[in-house]
Amino acid sequence: MSGKEFFINRYRELGWTYREVELKPSIRINTVNAKPEEVLARLESQGVRLERIPFAENGFWVERSRFSIGATAEYLLGLYSIQETAAQIPATVFSDLADKRVLDACAAPGGKTVQLADLMSNSGAIMALDVDKRRLPALANQLERCRVKNAVVYHMDARDTSRLGISFDRVLLDVPCSGNYVTDRAWFGRRTLRDVERNAGVQRQILAEAVKVVKPEGEIVYSTCSLEPEENELNMDWAVKNLGVEIEGISCYGENGLTNVFGRELDDSIGKCRRIWPEKTQGFFVCKLRKKP
Amino acid sequence: MKEIMDFANRFDARISLDTCSIVTKQGRYFLVSERLKPLIRKDFFYAGAYLGKVKNRIFFPSFILLSMIAKGKANKIVVDDKSAWLFIVGRDIFRRGIVKVTGLKRRGYYTLILNRHNECLGFGRILRNLDEAVDRNEVVVRNIADIGDFLRREKQTSRV
Repeated sequence: MSGKEFFINRYRELGWTYREVELKPSIRINTVNAKPEEVLARLESQGVRLERIPFAENGFWVERSRFSIGATAEYLLGLYSIQETAAQIPATVFSDLADKRVLDACAAPGGKTVQLADLMSNSGAIMALDVDKRRLPALANQLERCRVKNAVVYHMDARDTSRLGISFDRVLLDVPCSGNYVTDRAWFGRRTLRDVERNAGVQRQILAEAVKVVKPEGEIVYSTCSLEPEENELNMDWAVKNLGVEIEGISCYGENGLTNVFGRELDDSIGKCRRIWPEKTQGFFVCKLRKKP
Repeated sequence: MKEIMDFANRFDARISLDTCSIVTKQGRYFLVSERLKPLIRKDFFYAGAYLGKVKNRIFFPSFILLSMIAKGKANKIVVDDKSAWLFIVGRDIFRRGIVKVTGLKRRGYYTLILNRHNECLGFGRILRNLDEAVDRNEVVVRNIADIGDFLRREKQTSRV
């Protein structure tokens, strides 16, 4: 069970027609380090044309640039980050971040960690984990470049977090996933349903661990860049039924989560999740969970 | 800690750091807040504001530390846009690119290099007394470290 036709048929069954999508590069201004209008003026004076992303505060699409947007003085000074449009959404879904203790459980390469620090104005504390030691230097590099001051980084599997004996007000779970064809041109040739199901299993283990370490009434934001319901709605349905969490409505770009997946009825609250089919962004899924008291 | 103070002295700068807020790991120094301290275990990889590292008895500052030094009294040179860009790609500073000099101008001292927005791009060593150097085409500051290093590091880590 693999191949382009197999997956495209699945998407059709879920109510979406496959299409090719070309992503525009996008950036996010780090407002702790600079005022957006100043960064825009500086980039535009260098011939960079930007367009505001209507659903991402401080996010801009790069419409035109004669040079790599990752090789400007402004980028190297941490005034902005290069961050895919949909990837800018999860950190903004938390209700309040100032002075909170936040876990970023699958953090490398650090784009969302930097965004969290920005939203927190470097207050509170972020614990950023990643299971892949080789990705930690890139994460540390981002933190130094963007002058993040409120994060500590560990080489750790998110499934082991409760061993630390620390509880968190907020947990960001941008979990490892199967990805999607927009950001990986070879995706259809590489992925099988078995991969998807294996990833979904790991994601459930991470979710269960996150619920252990989040404080009662604390928030968990779960996101993937996968289009596959096993990694998204089905995992959320499982979480709601097994982990003592409830889904909260969020206001962000995307469509309602699917409540019927291949004929299987899910909990009504799954409709509060947001599913983003590829169009202006890559494929994405985001959901906010609150731990019951 | 002494390494950081000695390093700041080379810019004729003073920097005040609370010793209790500094943690070290394998020769690397980090400044951590009170809120972050409870999350620090001995096996951390990175924490708070990275200040720099000592390797072979030489102190290598972070760009966060350089920005901290730049906020106070210190040797600083503001350069024009072209020189700022050339500095970021690893080049030295020519006399003709200097817009403003603050602090000591003597040969051998370190100086911070700032762009016209007063943002610190890195630092270098003064090669000639700056009030003597009259040849506009003469190199007067040798590049020691610049923020282009972030790109070089990205290239290195992407090869792993």
